[in-house]
Amino acid sequence: MDEMTLNVTAVAVRADGLSRRYGATRALDEVGLNLERGITGLLGPNGAGKTTLLSILATVSEPDAGRVSVFGLDPRDGAERVEIRRRLGYLPQDLGYHRHFTVAAFLDYVAILKEITGRRDRAEEVARVLAAIGLEDRARTRIRALSGGMRQRLGIAQALLGRPDLLILDEPTAGLDPEQRLRFRELLSDLPGNPVIVLSTHQADDIAAICPQVIVLLQGRVHFAGTPAGLAATAAGRVWAANERDARAHLSWRGADNRWRHVGDRPPDDAELVPPTVEDGYLLLSHAAGAR
Amino acid sequence: MTSSLPGPAGPAAGADGHAGEDLLAGYAAGTLQTIEVWSVEAHLTGCAGCRSALSAQVDTERLARNRSVLLARAALGDGGRARRLLGRCGLPEHLLRLLGATPSLRRSWLLSVLGVLAVVAGEAAAVKYGWIPGGGPGRLAGYRDPAVVAPFLLLAPLLVLAGVAAAFLPMFDPAYRLAVAAPFSGFTLLLVRTLSALTAALVPVIAAAFLLPGPGWLPVALLLPSLALCAFALAAATVMGPRAAAVTAGVLWAVPVLLLATTHGPLPIVQRNAQFACAAVLCASAVVLLARRDRFEWGWMR
Repeated sequence: MDEMTLNVTAVAVRADGLSRRYGATRALDEVGLNLERGITGLLGPNGAGKTTLLSILATVSEPDAGRVSVFGLDPRDGAERVEIRRRLGYLPQDLGYHRHFTVAAFLDYVAILKEITGRRDRAEEVARVLAAIGLEDRARTRIRALSGGMRQRLGIAQALLGRPDLLILDEPTAGLDPEQRLRFRELLSDLPGNPVIVLSTHQADDIAAICPQVIVLLQGRVHFAGTPAGLAATAAGRVWAANERDARAHLSWRGADNRWRHVGDRPPDDAELVPPTVEDGYLLLSHAAGAR
Repeated sequence: MTSSLPGPAGPAAGADGHAGEDLLAGYAAGTLQTIEVWSVEAHLTGCAGCRSALSAQVDTERLARNRSVLLARAALGDGGRARRLLGRCGLPEHLLRLLGATPSLRRSWLLSVLGVLAVVAGEAAAVKYGWIPGGGPGRLAGYRDPAVVAPFLLLAPLLVLAGVAAAFLPMFDPAYRLAVAAPFSGFTLLLVRTLSALTAALVPVIAAAFLLPGPGWLPVALLLPSLALCAFALAAATVMGPRAAAVTAGVLWAVPVLLLATTHGPLPIVQRNAQFACAAVLCASAVVLLARRDRFEWGWMR
């Protein structure tokens, strides 16, 4: 491999000018992004276009315009699309299940779709992902008898089948309780082989905890791409703590210490400047986008 | 109790006649000769010290992994007698698994059974209350009332089509997006699902055809129209959306059949000329389907 190829492959997933409309709604508007190996968080409110973007990256939907390249492969070419799918693990949002399947039978079914055809290999893969998400003892339970959190974990488990090199998770932490969310973060951080992981969420604390890279998507456009620290820094000098509510601030809420936290352009009276968090940066960005 | 352990040839036994660490490690890893295994086992039954020393040699991680694999295999089972039988005929195990897992199987079966029951019950009522007049232009010698089978001839292939449509329409597969995002050949998946739905739907339809009044060849005569209709729907799905294709196929069957039944009576629907026409449609659809299978192979949702 010459030096130029190496430079090209440093970015594992690349998208340029992606647009997609649903009727009159513009879901994605000229979205461009570069994903490296490791975890990238996609942050945005409901309806920002996160699901559309992820389903295009997962080769499930076709963009109206723009290009995608995954590991140097072009999903517009049929054979290359299949090659991408061989390396892909995908958790769609609101994944539906065949409710009469048992947990093991469902995973076995998905393993076949992922071309793990050997019977013994499949059993080992199914056992491995069941252990990874802690559902080993539910292998024989029917899906209709699982709680919402367990179903979400099953969705994560099927995405892990076949040790994918690209893991696309649409709202993976939805429906998980705090302890399960911690276990999920641990699981992602410990995945061997340093895969490309992109996960969408509307919770800034997921991003701050595990994502070295973050992309903020608002109304179908990328408004920020960088590190969580960089996102927090966009709010530097605009977050204050005060004892009183201030009507001029963009956003104000009372924190656990019973003081008001203000995000805005001008300081309220007797306020003290505080270091911004990822959430502050995100709130300011979405406020600015909404005001436009 | 002390037992003598293998001599110079095997791994060293402990100096005091107990099993040495090497021997126990070999036993735990399963690398010993048969004769050594026997000796170690004989010793272990009587020596608590060596038993606890052995447990330190066991790879607990491997043990846990094996346990999960066993649990998963037990949960998956071997799929019952039918699948074992087909497996012995040389069909790949994973395809049989898919066939069994085809979620539409039960649905298309249920759909066909309900449809057939409704048609048969409707006909029985129609005959009893005289809604269907006996005799007509298509009346054949030897059959008291061929008009009785008209609704069944019209609906039976449609029921089979509905069962097959349930197998390939995305709206009936809650995990459809997973199938699209997976590398497994979409065309193979389509064929497997169609085959299972076709079997499930044909069985009740053909069974009902045996029970209905009419010529003895009626059940067989329904096969070709049903297959042609389904093949046409699949071929059309490579050109238009799958839902539009299923509806188009249904309409294209119903309209000429209704015309034929009102002008010439019901039996020509399944008699010679119609069979030739169905065979032609079946062949043409198969050719189109094969030529355009990329549409399923590399599926892409809009």
